[in-house]
Amino acid sequence: MRRILALTLVLALGAAALAAPAWSQEGTLDKIAKTGVLTIGTRTASPPFAYVNKSNEWVGFSIDLVEQLIKPQVEKAVGKPIKVEKKESTPPTRIPLLSSNAVDLIAGTMTDTPQRRESVDFSLTFFYTGAQFLVKKGSPIRGVKDIAGKRIASQQGSTNAKIIREKYPQAQLREFPDQPAAFQALVQGQVDAYTNDGIQLYGLKAKAANPAQWEVVGDFYSEEPYGMAMRKGDAKFKQVVDAGLRHGFESGKYFELYDKWFGPKGEVPYPMTPQVKAYLLKQIGK
Amino acid sequence: MLWSGQSGHWLLQGMLTTLAISALGWILAAALGVLAGALRTVPWRPLRALATAYVEFFRNVPLLVWMFFWYFGVPPLLPEPVRQWLFDHSAEFWAGMVALGVYHGARMSEVIRSGIQAIPRTQFEAAVAMGLTTGQAYRLVIVPIALRLIVPPATSESLNLLKNSSVALTISVAELTFQTRQIETYTAKAIEALTAGTVIYLVLCLSIATIMARLERRFAIPGMIARGR
Repeated sequence: MRRILALTLVLALGAAALAAPAWSQEGTLDKIAKTGVLTIGTRTASPPFAYVNKSNEWVGFSIDLVEQLIKPQVEKAVGKPIKVEKKESTPPTRIPLLSSNAVDLIAGTMTDTPQRRESVDFSLTFFYTGAQFLVKKGSPIRGVKDIAGKRIASQQGSTNAKIIREKYPQAQLREFPDQPAAFQALVQGQVDAYTNDGIQLYGLKAKAANPAQWEVVGDFYSEEPYGMAMRKGDAKFKQVVDAGLRHGFESGKYFELYDKWFGPKGEVPYPMTPQVKAYLLKQIGK
Repeated sequence: MLWSGQSGHWLLQGMLTTLAISALGWILAAALGVLAGALRTVPWRPLRALATAYVEFFRNVPLLVWMFFWYFGVPPLLPEPVRQWLFDHSAEFWAGMVALGVYHGARMSEVIRSGIQAIPRTQFEAAVAMGLTTGQAYRLVIVPIALRLIVPPATSESLNLLKNSSVALTISVAELTFQTRQIETYTAKAIEALTAGTVIYLVLCLSIATIMARLERRFAIPGMIARGR
């Protein structure tokens, strides 16, 4: 009896696995036209890209890009006003959320990588950064060459964790599901450093109780171009999303939003270098 | 595909970590469970109160909170050298193990208490009449009988413990669920990785259930309403 039961369960699970890809037949634009809602997967604690601010509003640079650049394009494409709905999506959950149709667009802090391109499509790059370390001021860790034997926190499922595991196996890697848990571990000394994309570390430092106590160190040991992820093979939707970003770059609206969040008076001052600007504009052939 | 190479290696590692944290957590849970379960029935009020406080406090707070408590809350209370030593020797594993053990110990003690309370009072009185002290009566008569009575619910509780060990991934323990997510981020094959993880949990749990069923038959008390084949 027990054996039959086990077999039935295994078969049921197998069937579910086979049935899964059949869900994503309908195009994203058709879905939005029907429901009037564009659902984005974003973050709650990744300032300044997407986070919940002091007055309890869910805001950020990535969210602004969607609401001010992409939403108008989508509205044009479906021919009616739409609403943007936000859902929390962490690195381990975002691809499943996307492929199960729970969200239509990942607009957070997702790095565009060749491996990920095998399962999702990416928009134009909307931000460019690289991995560094956040440490207590005066820490002996000054960069990636100092991490052998040290306890290093990272985010589960991030590109940085992958690089550390593959290229610097001497480090003791500890992976946490989200940024607050990893930072808590750093504050308490469970780990010696927290590695993430440089801009995120600056964001975290700005939000810390005592920012002067922390510093971001090291050269970029990885390249992290951020893109918005979509279900693979939906060319029509990708065209609309890219058109929104392209329009932003061309009209200068993108740079206004950049200045709002990363300018001298922004949430996290992070002036755009000429190289990064050239990189972004090169995508639209300028 | 998933059983070979890097992914297979990760699944195996995750399974071993899950088994290790669950086995150690189970030993702790069983010890605490028997102790607290027995204390809740002894004829001395302060001990009963102590055991009741333990059970109600630990089983009525979510396991996730206990994970954070043992990992983030407890280390700052330890002296510096002990803390550094712990941090260098997988603090997250031990915190997860203690969280599982203490939480499930509280739940296990209720199972054991119900076993003890199913034993007629006369059994205890007879033991005392034969000259045993209360402690001896518990150790030699009451607890051994209770443990045989509670095998079925204790099995459920043990299976729960094994599955709940997945919560330890929130404090960076690289157990089975953690590894399935890892595979997912490397290969983006979410459904396959989840299916593999599910099958492993299922096989582990079914094996435990089979062993416990054997134990149940082996140690059944003659004369009770036992119909298990």
